[in-house]
Amino acid sequence: MTALSQGDVPAASSPLLKTRGLLAMALAALLLGVAAPRLVSSQLMLSLATQAIFDALLATSVGFLVLQNGRVSFGQAAFFGLGGYAFGVLVARGLMAAELAVLTALALPTLVAFLLGLVFARIAGVAHAMLTLAVGQAFYEIAFRWRELAKGDDGMAFNLPPRIFGFDSSLLQDPSVMVVVAWTILVLALLGLALFANSRMGQIAAAVRDNAERARFIGHDTTIPPAIVYAISALLAAIAGLLQATYNGYIAPQMFHWSLSGSALIMAVVGGAQFILGPAIGAVCFFILKDFAGRFAEYWPAIVGSVLVIVTLVMPQGIVGLLKAGWFRMRRQA
Amino acid sequence: MAIQLLNGIVYGGLLYLLAVGLVLIFGLREVVNFAHGALFMLGSYIGFTLAAAGHWWLGLLVSVVAMAAVGCLLDVLVFRSLRKHDHIVTVLITFGLLLILETVVTVTWGKAYLSYPVPKLLDGTVTIAGSPFPIYRLFIIVVSLLVAGGLAAWLRYTRMGLYVRAASTNAHVTSIQGIDVDRLSLVVVGLGTALAGLSGVVAGPLLTLSPTMGNYILIDSFIVVVIGGLGSFAGAFFAALLIGQIHNLGAIYLPWAATMLPFLLMIGILIWRPTGFAGSRT
Repeated sequence: MTALSQGDVPAASSPLLKTRGLLAMALAALLLGVAAPRLVSSQLMLSLATQAIFDALLATSVGFLVLQNGRVSFGQAAFFGLGGYAFGVLVARGLMAAELAVLTALALPTLVAFLLGLVFARIAGVAHAMLTLAVGQAFYEIAFRWRELAKGDDGMAFNLPPRIFGFDSSLLQDPSVMVVVAWTILVLALLGLALFANSRMGQIAAAVRDNAERARFIGHDTTIPPAIVYAISALLAAIAGLLQATYNGYIAPQMFHWSLSGSALIMAVVGGAQFILGPAIGAVCFFILKDFAGRFAEYWPAIVGSVLVIVTLVMPQGIVGLLKAGWFRMRRQA
Repeated sequence: MAIQLLNGIVYGGLLYLLAVGLVLIFGLREVVNFAHGALFMLGSYIGFTLAAAGHWWLGLLVSVVAMAAVGCLLDVLVFRSLRKHDHIVTVLITFGLLLILETVVTVTWGKAYLSYPVPKLLDGTVTIAGSPFPIYRLFIIVVSLLVAGGLAAWLRYTRMGLYVRAASTNAHVTSIQGIDVDRLSLVVVGLGTALAGLSGVVAGPLLTLSPTMGNYILIDSFIVVVIGGLGSFAGAFFAALLIGQIHNLGAIYLPWAATMLPFLLMIGILIWRPTGFAGSRT
């Protein structure tokens, strides 16, 4: 997993200082998010930004798996779809209170990913890519064929209960509110991932990624930490799926499809999967590119494919890697 | 029942043609070609264009040759130039190619489903065990058996086949022995993609053509390759026949679970033996 996941080892400068810097950055980002709906008046723009943030969450979840476990997944949409479906189905059938449905929609994919992670973590490289693709498609097949669950291929619209966690739930379908909610979650998620990566568990997972045998030799458990990374990454995907299902009031099997997994992976790689921020930045870049390419919508998959090929060939560290290299070069010259 | 088993062999045969191409490429380049399904689809469309104009057999030939050429380009431009990189980078690039090829086909031929004609020579049915069976399906079985036999003989009895087996076991040591692995790989990757083109044309009349037709069969052939043990030719053959039967019998006897069975089998086998039936050389 050299080219994709081998980032620069973070310098061991005072961890407290580093955490403080992270917190300051996160706080600034949160304030920016709260201010955004007041600065941008166009509802369409806000709605598009909301969708871009959902994409960014999913891309971050794929990228985190590459970063921490060195595993490339082509099936991350399985957890995105599972989060959305669990919530949609439970709410539509009135099986439980909406709050409990939210918790279930987050807990179920996390648990499934933890169990799968115990197996997947043993399988590396190309076989892992094929296995995750197949498992992801298995979920898609269930959602597609099981008509009684959520109308199969047609997808299912559902109504939110009037209040969730004491708030008026219709606010969650208003872009100027959802964009703040989603942005806040994204910022907190990125902060949480950065803290995890520096934590003991994160360091062990990274050690297992680099050399499982040596990690075992020095006495670390090598199955649980990678499985926890799978679980965290699935939790992020499930949050994205849950948010999207809530925002649209609609679930469909496409939420599980491998083309979604693939595009999230592409965003992560183009942004720079060896950095925590990379995938989210990749998602935003694709969002802007898609806006420009609007006239060529027919060619969009080919544009995505070409960008992927060019980026992997020319700048394997992605956009963030390129920026970082440029930054260091500038500092050296200064 | 005999007819059902035969139908299973037909699908298994198609899967074999695709899976063995993946195995060939994996053997030399240690890369799984995600664009293999897209090449299958492109081959099918090229063959269709000629077949619709009345040149069925020419379509088969042109498609196979064209896909072999694409494979050689793929080997030189992507696999060879990236052989020192992480293999997953190459896999990502083949994934990008898949998106590009799908778009090319969508723009050229449109999204509508097209039906591929059956050649006149193979039209009609024969009676097997008291039931009619299309001659064309027998043709698919014959083609896949011929390819399987030919490939096995080539690998077993020719000098080049020996080199291929050696390079699949360890490309580095093989090149130290004075064998030009890059040249070998050009032939092998070209052969693998040519087989994708062949199966695309042969499968054409059986399936309907659409720009996403390669995706389902690609995933099934991934399952075949994984179950058979990455890089094993015999493993791919038996796994393809097995998945073909499961696919077909499952659709009849367990329709609600049919599409899940191959996935469950794959996951079960990977848990039981992470290297697959035949074991993996990597």
